[in-house]
Amino acid sequence: MTTISEVKPAASANTSAQSLMATLRMVLSYGLLFLLALSFIYPFMLAVTTSFKTLPEIAANPVALIPETFTLEGYTRMQGLNVGRWMFNSAFIAIAVTTGNVLFSSMAGYALARIDFPGRTAVFLSILGTMMIPGIVMLIPMFIILRQLGLIDTYGGLILPKVVSAFGVFLMKQFFESVPRDLEEAAAIDGASRFQMFFRVILPIARPALVALIIFSFQGSWNDFMHPLIVISVNQDLYTLPLGLALLRGGIGQNLQWNALMAGSMITTLPMAIIFFIFQRYFVEGIAYGGLKG
Amino acid sequence: MAAGIREQERQDRIAAWLFLSPALIIFAIFLVIPILFALYFSFTDWNGISPPAEASWIGLDNYQAILLQDGIRRADFFKALKNTTYFALGVVPVQTALALFLAVVVNQRLLRFKSFFRTSYYFPSITSSVAISLIFLFLYQKSGLINSILSGATLGLWEPIAWMEDSRGLIHIILGWLGVTLRDGPAFFRTELLGLTIWDWISGPSVALSGIMILNTWTTIGTMMIIFLAALQDIPTSVYEAAQIDGATTWPTFRKITLPLLRPTMFFIITLGLIGTYQVFDQVYVMSSGGPAKTTLTVAYMVYRNGFRNSEMGLGAAIALSLFIIIFILTMIQRRITGSEATD
Amino acid sequence: MNKQSYWTILAMLLLTMLLAACGGGSAEPVATQGEEETGSETSGETAEEPESTSGESEVTELQLMGWASSEAENDRLQEVIDEFNANNPDLNVTLNLVPDYDTKLQTSLAGGSPPDVFYIDSFRLPDFVAADSIEPAEGQLENVDDFYPSLREAFTIDDTLYCPPKDFSTLGLQYNKALFDAAGVEYPTNDWTWDDLRAAAEQLTDEENGVYGMVVSADFARWIAFLYQAGGSVTNSDFTEMTINSPEAMEAMNFYVGLVEDGFAATPAGLDSGWPGEAFGKESAAMSMEGNWIASFLNDQFPDVDYGVVQLPAGPAGEATMAFTVCYGVPAIGENKEASFRLVNYLTGPEGMKRWTDLGLAMPTRASLADGWTAQYPELEPFLAGAENANPWQFRPGFQDVLDTMNDGLQQAFSGTLLAEDVLSNTEEVGTEVLNR
Repeated sequence: MTTISEVKPAASANTSAQSLMATLRMVLSYGLLFLLALSFIYPFMLAVTTSFKTLPEIAANPVALIPETFTLEGYTRMQGLNVGRWMFNSAFIAIAVTTGNVLFSSMAGYALARIDFPGRTAVFLSILGTMMIPGIVMLIPMFIILRQLGLIDTYGGLILPKVVSAFGVFLMKQFFESVPRDLEEAAAIDGASRFQMFFRVILPIARPALVALIIFSFQGSWNDFMHPLIVISVNQDLYTLPLGLALLRGGIGQNLQWNALMAGSMITTLPMAIIFFIFQRYFVEGIAYGGLKG
Repeated sequence: MAAGIREQERQDRIAAWLFLSPALIIFAIFLVIPILFALYFSFTDWNGISPPAEASWIGLDNYQAILLQDGIRRADFFKALKNTTYFALGVVPVQTALALFLAVVVNQRLLRFKSFFRTSYYFPSITSSVAISLIFLFLYQKSGLINSILSGATLGLWEPIAWMEDSRGLIHIILGWLGVTLRDGPAFFRTELLGLTIWDWISGPSVALSGIMILNTWTTIGTMMIIFLAALQDIPTSVYEAAQIDGATTWPTFRKITLPLLRPTMFFIITLGLIGTYQVFDQVYVMSSGGPAKTTLTVAYMVYRNGFRNSEMGLGAAIALSLFIIIFILTMIQRRITGSEATD
Repeated sequence: MNKQSYWTILAMLLLTMLLAACGGGSAEPVATQGEEETGSETSGETAEEPESTSGESEVTELQLMGWASSEAENDRLQEVIDEFNANNPDLNVTLNLVPDYDTKLQTSLAGGSPPDVFYIDSFRLPDFVAADSIEPAEGQLENVDDFYPSLREAFTIDDTLYCPPKDFSTLGLQYNKALFDAAGVEYPTNDWTWDDLRAAAEQLTDEENGVYGMVVSADFARWIAFLYQAGGSVTNSDFTEMTINSPEAMEAMNFYVGLVEDGFAATPAGLDSGWPGEAFGKESAAMSMEGNWIASFLNDQFPDVDYGVVQLPAGPAGEATMAFTVCYGVPAIGENKEASFRLVNYLTGPEGMKRWTDLGLAMPTRASLADGWTAQYPELEPFLAGAENANPWQFRPGFQDVLDTMNDGLQQAFSGTLLAEDVLSNTEEVGTEVLNR
């Protein structure tokens, strides 16, 4: 936090020595940031190149960044598979889940952060508590419930349990807590109801938080493996991308089809990366409040 | 006037429950019922294979086996708890601090290539965790990249190690440099406490576990950075403008104004970190299956192993619920410390 | 965003509650609910029991659940099933290959909607039998005596055969011809002894060039072959007592760990590899001790390695190897058990078994097919021959704890932090606890 921000006051300095120092510091700071960025994307780049290598080459030299013999072997294995359908399913489910979360998680989060009512802390701690139990022990009960509800092998079973998440409620609650109360008080004086307050005053200024929630919900659903595994029993038309692609890699440990596995992870990662790249632009400082105050 | 306030309160109450109802209905069906099931299983000898109705009630036997009875189950449980605690102690502070640092950096209005930096720091969070864990197995090999970098940085002093096969504890290694070993150490090192010797308890995370800790930190920083970023932008710019007029410089402004306003987010991030680290499973499953020498056996992995590999789902459920209690207590302590509710 | 959004939210709220309500009380009739809702609910339920909707044709739907293996194997299994379907118009078998098999299988079994036929690994069979989840195959199978005795034993518990072997693998000794030639060592034979193995490993080791005589892993499933070769055993024959802490076991430990201690063998991690096959492929170990799965692995990932296979060497008590095998199980709560056994009989019968193993990736479990198979794949013959002196990889429920303890112990013995006798006594202690549960 110090490196970059100190550039600001220095930029207005007059003497050349100072400006030289400032330039030097800037170069260093950016160099550091780029190096850090490299360390964050290097393993991904390795996954990209691995997806274009032949199996013998991966075995001989797993960390070379440029394939010696470029091959599409990893990708052609997907030809006979229903990758398009899987992608559609994943996208459809992720959009439904995200929509539900934006609405229901923020509503619940708002009530917990802002409205005083008996039992508030108990409700909050219970929701928080559900996150603390390893999901593995709940898989079989989840299957039994879904089966009772007739939701096995349906989109409903894939979507409904996920349209609101404890994580989302918790996230939104914490955000709403840091929003100054005076905005609502002003609205209350104007005679606005809670619903109007929420939709007209609170949601618009919560945009950064909502963007975060959209990214996390979409990503959580897009990469989810366990829930579809449980819900889909025989109907392979409902397969999602992570589930379908998991079949490609063979058993982990022995004859692992590295290139196919990495190709599969490219196909799942890239759409998510694009969505993130688009949405992160909405993290722009000050706009929310600036807009509100005209 | 008084009637008006009461009416307002009544309306607020109704509004609150209406706002909460969709969430509560979904949670009741898909979270609370499964959790009650799990609670029930923890008092049975259910194997996780036959229908649960066939399981018999065995009272507190499962809890006794992991907490009181001398044997492999208790030894494993406390070993797993020890490993997981070292994991959390190592990961949570580092990921929180780094995520905050990066969030502040990519929030700078004057920063160039902002989109590039944000996306690249977030990248590990999006990439498929199986693919990334497998790539890291390459990087941690004896001749792998991480050993090469360390060896380059220390001018060849670093001896390459096979990270994921190394069961030596970090604290044991450091004690070894200081000349303290189990053999020459004080007798109380061999005293047994809950199935493990004192010497075992103070091992620190093994090299293999540290490898998973580094990977875990690296993949979660992006997510936490985004949360901090969103929170930073929720702070009205007017707050900073006032500070600038007062002539406050960057660091004091950050410490005195930004940090207190980030308190609810801080509580959120640390709680999330505790939950995530105490339940670490995926990376252990793909990279080490609990080995070498059970030094990467985590509590969540033990739940899986008992439930789906060893047909002891009842025992697994008891472990899961014990884990729940531990995380809950830690969160409550943490809530006191960060004073999350102070803002209300 | 005013009145309209109100209604949207209220509508969604109602929808959620409705869905929850009609699902929750599926037993009682819900009179007030709209046509569309009930419609979607019923369609969800019918998808689960396709046989009820198929009407007049009386085709019974069967599901075979397994895990995915190589593309070639998945395709071949599908072909065999297609043939079965063509010959059995009253049945329609769907092959359902799933990722994360253990989780998926247990969920379906415990959840009360099991597949009609599913794979079971011999190591996990005791858990499934203890849970009363498997219908015994005793009396349901054709020509049982044709299956190799060691493989029948792998799926027999308390004198009951639970399921017929689908295919199997045994451990053999792989050797790298180029490395043997370079070191001037004669190729191994089926008659090798421990002493031959050790002497060759010593000669082949060339630490300067990073070549070790052999790659050994800290794995109970490998060491156990030496235990049997030394005449030892894990438990007594009726599984009431651990017998692993014996002089024979000590001899096997000393031999196995000694290879590493003396520097003639290394672990996979020490050779930059994830498992022994990889180290062998990288030619950093001249010998490895794996099953026939190593053949397709080397073919795909290290096609240039010229290697041969012989049976494992004989120890003080003679020859022994391990058989790793999977069977086709029928669930005890299955609805179509008779039809399920028809499918199982076809898949493990002479015709289906031949089609399945003709690919050369899996070995036939019927002795009558052995000659045909070895004529086709002579280089893999030692693996098949191993069936004659193989021991099953099957113990008692809960034996995962013993396996983990032994693996840990071997790992620590290799790194010199635990003595061989402590490894054995620890394993004995844990095993005794497991057997007495």
